[in-house]
Amino acid sequence: MAATLAGVPARPRRLLASRRTRIGILYALPAVAYLLALFVYPIFSTLLLSVQDLDGSLTLHWYADALTGVNLSVLFTTLRIAAETALFSLVIGFLLANAISRLRPLPAALAMLIVVVPHFISALVRTYGWIIMLGDKGLVNQLLAGLGVPGAPYQLLYNEIGVVIGTTAMMLPYTVLLLYGVMRGVDRRLLAAAASMGAGRLVIFRRVYLPLVAPGLATAGLLSFILALGYYITPALMGGPNQTMIASLINQQVMKQNQWNGAAAEGVILLLLTFAGLLLVKLVSSLGEAKKRSAS
Amino acid sequence: MAEFGVSTPSVGVAGAKPAASTGKALSVVALRKTYGDAVAVDEASMEIAAGEFVTFLGASGSGKTTTLMMIAGFCEPDSGTITVGGRDVTRLAPQKRNLGFVFQQYLLFPHMTVGENVAFPLQLRGVPKEEIRRRVGQTLEMAGLSGFAGRRPRELSGGQQQRVALCRALVYRPPVILMDEPLGALDKKLRDQLQVEIKTIQQELGLTVIYVTHDQEEALVLSDRIAVMRNGRIEQFDTPRELFERPKTAFVADFLGAANFLPGRVEQQSDAHTLVRLDHSGGLLKTRRHDLAAGVAVTVAVQPGRLRVCPPDDGFCTGTVETATYVGSVVRAGVRIDSRDTSRDTSRDTSRDTGRDTGRDTGRDTGRGAPLLRLEVPAGRGPVTGERVGICADPDDVNLFPGEQGR
Ligand SMILES: Nc1ncnc2c1ncn2[C@@H]1O[C@H](COP(=O)(O)OP(=O)(O)OP(=O)(O)O)[C@@H](O)[C@H]1O
Ligand SMILES: [Mg+2]
Repeated sequence: MAATLAGVPARPRRLLASRRTRIGILYALPAVAYLLALFVYPIFSTLLLSVQDLDGSLTLHWYADALTGVNLSVLFTTLRIAAETALFSLVIGFLLANAISRLRPLPAALAMLIVVVPHFISALVRTYGWIIMLGDKGLVNQLLAGLGVPGAPYQLLYNEIGVVIGTTAMMLPYTVLLLYGVMRGVDRRLLAAAASMGAGRLVIFRRVYLPLVAPGLATAGLLSFILALGYYITPALMGGPNQTMIASLINQQVMKQNQWNGAAAEGVILLLLTFAGLLLVKLVSSLGEAKKRSAS
Repeated sequence: MAEFGVSTPSVGVAGAKPAASTGKALSVVALRKTYGDAVAVDEASMEIAAGEFVTFLGASGSGKTTTLMMIAGFCEPDSGTITVGGRDVTRLAPQKRNLGFVFQQYLLFPHMTVGENVAFPLQLRGVPKEEIRRRVGQTLEMAGLSGFAGRRPRELSGGQQQRVALCRALVYRPPVILMDEPLGALDKKLRDQLQVEIKTIQQELGLTVIYVTHDQEEALVLSDRIAVMRNGRIEQFDTPRELFERPKTAFVADFLGAANFLPGRVEQQSDAHTLVRLDHSGGLLKTRRHDLAAGVAVTVAVQPGRLRVCPPDDGFCTGTVETATYVGSVVRAGVRIDSRDTSRDTSRDTSRDTGRDTGRDTGRDTGRGAPLLRLEVPAGRGPVTGERVGICADPDDVNLFPGEQGR
């Protein structure tokens, strides 16, 4: 055996390896075809569209348009609303997930169902639901008026408050689901260990619990930020003209102006913003890690 | 709170002995805990002196962890009181009890480095930064972990993690440290090594330790006193020597050292001794005096190491060596003892030549029903398989329990 191997050195092995690679490619083929057809081709054609002038020549003026005047302020509005949405869905999601993770298994499963089920209803229907609830004669304002809160009824629709309430509500199932998973994964005995050393509830929360769920918080925040960036229905229906977001702008350009090239440029910018968000979180978390390492 | 203040200065002073260096460190009175119908801990009471190493030893489910959890405050007792350093802590939250706890699963904080883990309890107590650095370094060095302060717990081996957990409980010098099977997950070699380390540290610092294990040998190596637990009750709380030599119940005699049990009846009482007539062999066995009336059914218990091989006529019974296993310094022998009816026949032909054959025969005849005694005798002149022997025991090594317990 050893002799034959020594006599015919690398060749059979290379053959085997290449055969294995070929089989591997065969297995990967459907996935590759799928990605090519559904992701790479559309993105590539969008990219192409965004740098083509109407006559087919190369240009960057769609990007220039997208980054000036009203379009630029739409971009900033989008970033702001997405950030606000991420913040609120993170805070509310944290409180909800934390409360649910302390329940016994059965009530916890029920509570998760209540959080997640609305997600199966069309976003359009839920948005109209919110519009009814937040109107001048809606449940929320009637409640506030009934409680004698001064200034009620408030304008809760067709402004930024409305948009943020709406999008936050849409994001909550995601954040709660994600945070709940992370919180369930925290070993509660670690908290008991901290208590045995004399740590009070607040210290345990700040020094042990929060750091342990921090990766989940970052992911959940990022997820709702990215989802909110491209959100269309809720901002379009619950916002006013000042809350026009980038998705609405793209829609207008395509539907009203038949302006595909400009829309493509906006789309590419949205994609880049998403990547930037991802990168930022990655950077911050690895920076924290590095700081910890150098400190100790 | 005032009493709490008394015990805290020891925290601030590095290298200080625990606060309660005199008298009781901890006492538990009539502690009871039930889960539904099941009684996990039943009327457990004990007093532990400062600087003492106490072990809870018992089979799985005997209530060791539950008792420890109640002392630590993670689990509320149904009734009973717990006192630490003279202060009633029964209804106090765990963080207010000023105890140390080493968990079986280490439970190091994964998001902190080894150094941060050990520093954590000191930070909670507001110890100045410089002092924290010094004491963390000192403690890690003592545990042989000097180079590991910057590592994450997951970058350590199991034994190293266990030592970090130990450091984290030792560093703030709590008056009492509780350890729940801290070495349970480790292999034998590492366990032996850490046992020595734990014992050394405990003695050097004069710590009071309550330790849980179901490993008998570990309990013997470490403990000043052992509480043998069974079905939620403390069966006996004594020094290892007392548990071995003066077990209060047949269970304790069996649990520590796996005693031999023989049924019998009290024949006669004298000032210094009790004579027992053994049921199987009909022989008379002399023990130190037990206060039992003549005629009472008893169970005799003798540890394998306390039985001796002697000439057949000298022993309290005779028998045939069925197995003899050489295990280093001793020979472990199994001797099938002769029953009343056969012992007379066999005593006739104890000649050397036929010894082997008759031995084999009697072994087969009396094999059913006759008890097998386990002996541990010095390897030098150990018995050989098939040999007919007498069995002797020092009266002081024989324990008697009323009734027909044991096995
Ligand atoms: N949370 C609980 N709910 C119900 N029963 C429990 C609970 N905790 C313990 N028990 C029961 O109480 C008894 C004592 O348990 P405990 O954990 O104290 O045993 P242990 O001596 O520590 O055993 P081991 O050596 O296996 O750790 C057991 O019968 C166990 O089933
Ligand atoms: Mg246990």
